[in-house]
Amino acid sequence: MSLELVILLSVFLPLVAAGPVAWMGRGLGARAAWVALPFPVIAFLALAWAAAALGGGAGPAVGWPWVPTLGVELKFLVDGLSVFFGLIVSGVGALVVIYSAFYLDGHYAHHGRFYAYLLLFMASMLGAVLADNLLALFVFWEMTGIASFLLIGFLHGEEGSRRGARMALLVTAGTGLAMLAGIILIGQIAGTASLRELLAGGGLAGRPMAGAAMALLLLGAFGKSAQFPFHFWLPNAMAAPTPVSAYLHSATMVKLGVYLVARVFPLFNEHAAWSVLVGTVAFATLIVGSVLALLSNELKAILAFSTVSQLGLLIGYYGLGPSGGVSYDYLHILNHVCYKGALFMVAGAIYHATHLKDVRELGGLWRRSRWLGVVTAVACAAMLGMPGTTGFLSKELMFKEIFVSPRAHGPLGILAVVAVVGSTLIKVAFSIRIFQGVFLGRESEAVARGWRGLPWMMLLPPTILAAGLVVLGVAPELLAAAMHWLNVPGLHAPDAPVLHLWHGVTAELLASIAVVASGLALWWWGRVTGWRWARIPAAFRWDEGFDAAVDRFGGWCGRVTRLSGAESPRLWLGVVIGAVVLAVCLGAPWAGEAEGLVRRIAAGAAAQDWDALRVGVAAIVALGAIGAAVLRSWPAQLISLSTSGFISTLYFALYHAPDLALTQILVETVTLVLVLYLLARFPRSAQEGEDGGAGRAFGRWWRLGVAAAFGTMMAVVGLVMTSAPHADPVGPWYVAHTVPLAEGANAVNTILVDFRALDTLGEISVLVVAMLGCLGLLMRRRGPGGDGGVVVEAVGVQAGGPESMILVMVARLVFFVLNAFAIYLLWRGHNAPGGGFIAGLVSAISLVMLSLALGWEELHRVLRFDPGRLAVWGLAVAALPAAAPMVLGRPMLEQYMWSLAIWPIGKLHVGTPLVFDVGVFLVVVGIASKMLFVLGKSTCGFRALVGEEEARYASPADEPIERARPGGGGGA
Amino acid sequence: MQLDTALLAGFLFALAAWLILQPSFVRKLFGFVILSNAANLFVLMVSGDPAGRSAPIMGDGGVPVDPLPQALILTAIVIGFGVTAYLVMLLYRLFLDTGATVEGDGEDDGREGGER
Repeated sequence: MSLELVILLSVFLPLVAAGPVAWMGRGLGARAAWVALPFPVIAFLALAWAAAALGGGAGPAVGWPWVPTLGVELKFLVDGLSVFFGLIVSGVGALVVIYSAFYLDGHYAHHGRFYAYLLLFMASMLGAVLADNLLALFVFWEMTGIASFLLIGFLHGEEGSRRGARMALLVTAGTGLAMLAGIILIGQIAGTASLRELLAGGGLAGRPMAGAAMALLLLGAFGKSAQFPFHFWLPNAMAAPTPVSAYLHSATMVKLGVYLVARVFPLFNEHAAWSVLVGTVAFATLIVGSVLALLSNELKAILAFSTVSQLGLLIGYYGLGPSGGVSYDYLHILNHVCYKGALFMVAGAIYHATHLKDVRELGGLWRRSRWLGVVTAVACAAMLGMPGTTGFLSKELMFKEIFVSPRAHGPLGILAVVAVVGSTLIKVAFSIRIFQGVFLGRESEAVARGWRGLPWMMLLPPTILAAGLVVLGVAPELLAAAMHWLNVPGLHAPDAPVLHLWHGVTAELLASIAVVASGLALWWWGRVTGWRWARIPAAFRWDEGFDAAVDRFGGWCGRVTRLSGAESPRLWLGVVIGAVVLAVCLGAPWAGEAEGLVRRIAAGAAAQDWDALRVGVAAIVALGAIGAAVLRSWPAQLISLSTSGFISTLYFALYHAPDLALTQILVETVTLVLVLYLLARFPRSAQEGEDGGAGRAFGRWWRLGVAAAFGTMMAVVGLVMTSAPHADPVGPWYVAHTVPLAEGANAVNTILVDFRALDTLGEISVLVVAMLGCLGLLMRRRGPGGDGGVVVEAVGVQAGGPESMILVMVARLVFFVLNAFAIYLLWRGHNAPGGGFIAGLVSAISLVMLSLALGWEELHRVLRFDPGRLAVWGLAVAALPAAAPMVLGRPMLEQYMWSLAIWPIGKLHVGTPLVFDVGVFLVVVGIASKMLFVLGKSTCGFRALVGEEEARYASPADEPIERARPGGGGGA
Repeated sequence: MQLDTALLAGFLFALAAWLILQPSFVRKLFGFVILSNAANLFVLMVSGDPAGRSAPIMGDGGVPVDPLPQALILTAIVIGFGVTAYLVMLLYRLFLDTGATVEGDGEDDGREGGER
């Protein structure tokens, strides 16, 4: 196994697997966990292999070229630190998936989605800790933020979840942007963004601007790791289901800041501001977090604030680290991951069994579940640092190193001592409070009433974590060896870390005894006073302030919008059009020579060979358009407009553009029907009320002026463009090459499906997007009113069934004739006027005609497919000839032609462009008829809901389509 | 030089702008349809004077006109339909939600940016 394979298995496999897991999980319910479980396990095993192969040193960077022409590579740095974090992420990930399988039982929905998010998170997290390039690290870093957003908001029906998710995203992504600025700055300073090269190049402390880069980078780390003053988001993230809290918000994601600080420690630790900045923030967080934990009463809130404070400790440890490197960071991190992960899982188990969150409401659980009690006892013991657990080692070594820091760091060292000792004291108090309050004492009534029992498998993951605490606590030599194995030069001191179960009676042991005793006293005092004072003062509810500010920001933007008049498109459209006219008049290269321009145009006009037919057609087109503008009733306006559109078909024909003429006439037809549907819904009264010249006199003149200026400008620009032909037009090239290269005589069609097929692919994608947008507009509104769908009463526009048998018969016949014609047009499009667009419009018109003749209910019986789906399939068909050559290693959209001899037709030329054109055909049929159907049905009083419509297609004959108001409306 | 086409396109552009700047939604919609037509004619004009030329289909004989603007317009017509349809749906939805058929009309549903 190579390291590349390790990266593929740990980062990219879960990333790719997220989609299929979401899809497979739809029908599996809670069992979806077992589909997701292999991926963290595989990642863990792969990383364990990598760790075994490591053995100290700087670690290799492996990867693949990404943009080889720019020298950009996607590289991953596999060294002790990244593998250590990777093992934690994947290991805890596997435990959390097992735990979730029992926590997220049948009461929850969307299991597949949950595990997909979890895998997405794990992959991004592994990517972040393994990335070599700082920019790649940033991308993965933000991906963890997005996954966290999705997971916190997983129960998005609840207000708290949405708020928590929003807060977490805003804080972590916002500070992430500061980090991005820092990364770019580092790239400028050092000339590389590769961590491996940066670390090999030594510290950056002496370089100019290094302080700014460091501060920006640390800002990102502080935001992610919920350091003061960003600490407030983490407790709100607890709205997530508890497995998420255990995974993201105690064991992994919030450790990303710790990882980053550790990563850049060798680069910046000699900078004068490093220890001041990191130390002050981290130790302030340590104090604030532990005090807030003491003042909280909800189990998860206590754990969340305790996490905040411990993250401060972990980061502060690097802040005070000597330049030679730190020694025991792995111990502190692993200790925290194990006990905090276990405690969160315990909190989740308690919630699962009792639906209680508040410590004050719990009690006496020891009798219900001894096992849970033992796990909690071990985790709490590790948290408060009892001998026999890793917590004891962590605390003793922390004390030992911190007690000498005042000598090295002066006042900062004193702050560190106060913070560490004080927070440990408080930690002792709330550790005991958790265990005593939940497990001892009398069983509360709420517990007795609500106890639902616990599946034993759910206790397995926290038990494994607790076992780790004890095993490594009793046999610390194992841990010391592993830490030395994962030693990273620059970050860690070169000597092997020494861990013993018993360090003898030392100063720090005596100090711990005093601290634990004081903590016990604090707990006792709390118990005596009934924790009545345990309430977070309003001044510390920064989360509420943050939320209020975000909410107010929206209102403030709304006010600015209204003040600027941006809600009046009329005003601003005029300004925009006027500005365009001004810019063209002033900025065009010929602006200076207006006189010459006029002469040129006049000369052209004099030499103009007036084509009487063309002038006549132009006059009709213009007249029709004028009618649309000045006539007083909507139907008259619409007819006038359509006349203008239909006649412009002739204009296209006079320009030798048969394809355009065909397209225009068909689109005009479809548009006419569409607008008719709309006008049928609008009240007559509105039509009478409006007036072409309405508004104040100023508005009228302004409108007229802008319009006249715009029209004049466009006409002049057109004349200028045509008066001097382009020196080297590209058109003749297409004319010359359409037969030899594209094997099609119709140059317009070969441009569309062959030469510029990529543009066409983009265009039909836009059409599908437009269709989805239309469907979205007509879909059910999910509001407080619930069933507020776009269901309106029928206005009687042909809402019923077929009226005349003859009409129906003829319509069916014409339907087949039209479609046969459409297929013919599609087939011959490559060599003669026609092609996918035109054929698709013909076919769509045949469907519309069928709908008009049959009525909606009958249409549903006849039509067995959803045109919207047809459009999406069409897009897939069109993408096929685009993608297929790439699979064969050829350029995208490369064409292949085959000659088939088919008797009796003769030799047929068939090629991939035809397949592409079929895709275009399907898209056009689909979107045109779908839009008309949806609007038509909605305006006729049927539910125009996408989902329901699909259901109808599935079982067309059984039930009549639901009417909003049966018999509502009158005749047309 | 095709003065007739230039004048027609310019006139349609002016008419479209005039309609779009009016408060009535239906007039805006008509203005938009005319605007698409005007733009298509404009591009067509740029393809050059068609006098004495033939359609861009090989084998018809004669010098064919430039096919590229035609390909552009063909897609523009279809895209224009997609956008028109979207506009129609938008106006319809607006009418259903607020009862407005004229800009600035209809009840204000009191929504602000801050609402989630």
